[in-house]
Amino acid sequence: MQLNILRELAYRGNFFTQIFQSLLSLGFGLLGLAVIFDHTSMLDEWQPAELLALLGTYQLVGGVINLVIQPCMQQLMREVHQGTMDFTLLKPADTQFLVSIRQVQIWKLCDIALGLAVVGVALAHLGATVGVWQVLMFIFALAAGGSIVYSFWLMLATCSFWVVRVENILVIFQDLYQAGRWPVSIYPSWLRWTLTFLVPVTVATTIPAQALIGQLAWPALLGIAFFALLALLLSRWFWLFGLRHYTGASA
Amino acid sequence: MKTLLAVYRAQFKTSFLMYLQYRTSSVLWLLGMVLEPVIYLVVWSTIARANGGAVDGYGVGDFAAYFLVLSLVNHLTDNWVYYEFQERVRQGLLSALLLRPIHPIHADIAQNLTYKCIMLVVMLPTVGALALVFHPAAHVMLFTLLLFFPSLLLAIAIRFLVEWSLGLTVFWTTQMSAVLQAYYVALFFLSGQMGPLTLFPVPVQLLAQLLPFQWMLAFPVQLLLGQLDQHAIVLGLVAQAMWLCLSLALMTVLWHRGLRRYSGMGA
Amino acid sequence: MLMDHSSVISVCDLRRHYTVSRRDAGLKAALRSIVRRVTSEVVAVDGITFHLAPGEIVGFLGPNGAGKTTTLKMLSGLLYPTDGTAVVLDYVPWRRERALLQQIALVMGQRSQLQWDIPAIDSFALNQAIYRIDPPTYRHTLDELTELLDLAPLLTKPVRTLSLGERMKCELAAALLHRPRVLFLDEPTIGLDVTSQRRIRTFIAEYNLRYEATVLLTSHYMADVEALCRRVILIHRGKLLFDGNLRELAQRFSSHKTVTVYTPEGASGLASYGEVISTEEGQVKLRVPRADTAWVVHRLLEERTISDLTIEDPPIEQVIEQASCLGGR
Repeated sequence: MQLNILRELAYRGNFFTQIFQSLLSLGFGLLGLAVIFDHTSMLDEWQPAELLALLGTYQLVGGVINLVIQPCMQQLMREVHQGTMDFTLLKPADTQFLVSIRQVQIWKLCDIALGLAVVGVALAHLGATVGVWQVLMFIFALAAGGSIVYSFWLMLATCSFWVVRVENILVIFQDLYQAGRWPVSIYPSWLRWTLTFLVPVTVATTIPAQALIGQLAWPALLGIAFFALLALLLSRWFWLFGLRHYTGASA
Repeated sequence: MKTLLAVYRAQFKTSFLMYLQYRTSSVLWLLGMVLEPVIYLVVWSTIARANGGAVDGYGVGDFAAYFLVLSLVNHLTDNWVYYEFQERVRQGLLSALLLRPIHPIHADIAQNLTYKCIMLVVMLPTVGALALVFHPAAHVMLFTLLLFFPSLLLAIAIRFLVEWSLGLTVFWTTQMSAVLQAYYVALFFLSGQMGPLTLFPVPVQLLAQLLPFQWMLAFPVQLLLGQLDQHAIVLGLVAQAMWLCLSLALMTVLWHRGLRRYSGMGA
Repeated sequence: MLMDHSSVISVCDLRRHYTVSRRDAGLKAALRSIVRRVTSEVVAVDGITFHLAPGEIVGFLGPNGAGKTTTLKMLSGLLYPTDGTAVVLDYVPWRRERALLQQIALVMGQRSQLQWDIPAIDSFALNQAIYRIDPPTYRHTLDELTELLDLAPLLTKPVRTLSLGERMKCELAAALLHRPRVLFLDEPTIGLDVTSQRRIRTFIAEYNLRYEATVLLTSHYMADVEALCRRVILIHRGKLLFDGNLRELAQRFSSHKTVTVYTPEGASGLASYGEVISTEEGQVKLRVPRADTAWVVHRLLEERTISDLTIEDPPIEQVIEQASCLGGR
């Protein structure tokens, strides 16, 4: 992982590129919000400051995904496709752990930083309604949501043990993630269901944001915790299952 | 000329066979692309309902019609040619392309058109299904329908040429991700993907008219849906024709410069 | 500067320089390079001159980075030289005129021009359209190529399912459908198994005979060169070191000959005749200075019990290495 970071640092352009891109991405989101609020004072009972918090969460979580989850899973799929997975399997550590942390796109920290900044600004606007408890819930919800997203990606990547051309399917997550910019309540029920359970986008953005602005009820928090645990266990089981299949098949 | 027709026919065949192989990915890719207009359709509809039924004269049905037509036109004008060029550089395929006695743009045009035509098989039913869900309200007249097709063709050509030119930048650098992102951000707002351009503040609308994005996508959509008066339609078609010439010129210049650079003439 | 019009390829004092940016290893240097960029000049081709007559197969030899691929790219019009001239079939290659492109072909061992997911025959059809080959000629050429390369079972399978050797054969066929008069081959047999290599060599020789095509071939494998090329051009660090046939190359650049002695007596005492390279059961190899060969052999035959004796040039690879070292000084 150290070598990886060194390599990234060697490309001097990347740092400036990333800052520029993160700002551009944020600007994109802000412009969108500006256009919307030109025509209305709130969206489905979400105030501008609350939507700003959502945008910040969106940027933050996106940064985390692009920092480590996405590069690692893509690398995994590439290795299975090219047959170089064996080298990884030979290393004396738990394979799932290895494949999950070895690739880090270090500059994506910009996204995370920016996201946090936006959340901070949003909180300032919301004023006294945010307390320590909400921040804790926020962090917890982020962790839970992050786990669910990670598990989803892992399961998708594990599919590449059978269906070798899964890489193309990754694009669909990027497209669906766009839906996370907006509160999940505005979507028709079929879309809401898809975005929560099928491709877990809303759990990553809307729920943590709701936790932050104090709109998350106890049952929902417990629900997401339970969901996260389930996802982690399921993905681990599926991963081991896939690994067994892979090593059995290559014999 | 006969050569070109033969080349197109052969290229259509090879592309068709190839996409047949990639059908699952293609379908998923298409569904992902359709999602974006659906998202904004929902967002604007929510605002409209909260505002008593309409925003700036657009009711829920109008938004539905706008975004569904937009998704169709977007499918027909969309390109991914920059990524093809990146792959070509990565795999060292540029040389093979340059050794052919015909301009490489023809192969790309043929491949692009093949994809769009094949995927209409998936696209049209999808739009149909979405229409059943979102109940679009459209006012399409015969003459707008007739004028729609040339406008659509112009839009396809303009967008292809502009994005092919973007692809040519690989001759100078492969580190274009920032510029590309800026392009897509501008495209998103100014080509009407976020919403009808009349919803934007007036200075933004003026900007949109000066840049090619509106003419690549929003204009044919608004034309078809009868949202433009005759004066605007004529001006719009003229603007499209002008942008076609500009993008053709841009592509030609970049191609020659790029070729010189690639072969080390020290452009 | 005389332009020989009976030659198919004429190269005169061709040069090519590159500017590259340097990056040192380590974290500090990496951070430093964010602020400052260091460049240096690399000379890839440094004034080479040669002429090829129609129908010749010429081998282009030299160590990695000697300038072979760069020269081929200039001759096929992909690269513009820094100085000098080249003429291929009476055209200047880097003007990329369609008439010239229709008559040449460049095949690079590691790169593929075939479409990956579809059968080779469909890629061929595309080439037919691009090169304007009329149907009867196309069919005739395709039949011949299929026969020469044994392509029949391969044509309808998707290219990605073919083995490396099979893919290379299809690549070659695709490049030759338009019956180019000049063929540039850059490492055509690299990475292939021995059978495939031999197959391709035979094919190139056959194609050259049948169509009187001129072939300029680079390769790392001496077997390719020895089998196909009567004439070789040796390039090192962008300079032309040698232009002639292989025997001459050995004579000029190798200072020694290898004498293999078959004797029941073993290697003891043979060291006085020359440097002992290897000993095996009843067989000893000696390295003898070229000038001394006749005298050493005479002495061996006189003073020893010899059942058999052979005199050879050292392996060509060694000769080339030696020539490169000499030329590099």
